[in-house]
Amino acid sequence: MESKFTEVYPRTSDEGNETDCDKVSDMLDLVIDGEATSEEQTFFNSHIEDCVGCFESHQKQKLLKGLVSGHLKRVIVPESLAHSIKAKIQETV
Amino acid sequence: MSEQTGKQMSKEEKDARFEAELLPVLDPLYNFAYRLTLDEDDANDLVQETYLKAYRFFDYFEQGTNAKAWLFRILKNSFINEFRKKSKQPAKVDYSEVEGYYNSEDIEGESGVATTTDMRTESVQDLIGDEVASALNALPVDFRTVIILCDLEGFTYEEMAKILDIPIGTVRSRLHRARNSLKEKLEKYAKSMGYNS
Repeated sequence: MESKFTEVYPRTSDEGNETDCDKVSDMLDLVIDGEATSEEQTFFNSHIEDCVGCFESHQKQKLLKGLVSGHLKRVIVPESLAHSIKAKIQETV
Repeated sequence: MSEQTGKQMSKEEKDARFEAELLPVLDPLYNFAYRLTLDEDDANDLVQETYLKAYRFFDYFEQGTNAKAWLFRILKNSFINEFRKKSKQPAKVDYSEVEGYYNSEDIEGESGVATTTDMRTESVQDLIGDEVASALNALPVDFRTVIILCDLEGFTYEEMAKILDIPIGTVRSRLHRARNSLKEKLEKYAKSMGYNS
């Protein structure tokens, strides 16, 4: 089973073969981070249409990313910081 | 090659460009510094140091290139070179609290949650945010870093590789391990809240 994907994402199961689920699992981060090639994306999309397990893994991984991007509170920059930076620069020049 | 080089700039031009191109990154930079040091004063110092270095090396900065990635790289190097040693007082208070909380075996039930958060004043949104922050802060700094860069700041793998000075393959594997680790910590929390995944 020497497809292009097996070469790019070498990962062998016990039998030495890589299943489509393995490939999709390896692509999960690439997909949610928008780093997958269109070829990978197409393969991924068609697989999760049929595979409930991988569909759920994808949902969970998206949720995890969303928790950080959507819920992590940003700290507020102290008002004086920009001013201190400019002052320090003038001092040292 | 018509681009203006730093050497030809007057001081006024340099200052104006510096302010226009680099100061807008202050907010994400300060947030990154805070997530690395977990301390507001240290974050403050780290950001100031970063801007001073950036000003000193501003002639090497190519106009129109990625100012944010450039500053993040300087900050991350400063953190590694100086801050890591300096600010390594044995266990920051919030960090040790988080560690204790997540490592305790008996967090089933609501007791663990009630003691670490103020239920009276916080909305559910805040509560989730706090849990995410606690879980993230409890990760090793290398893991925390890739998650912040990717999920909070939206850097690409290629940009992250440049900021961190590591190959893209390492970015990928580190991000993968970091997410697994974060997931583990958040799943414990979810279970304690009665969600089963």
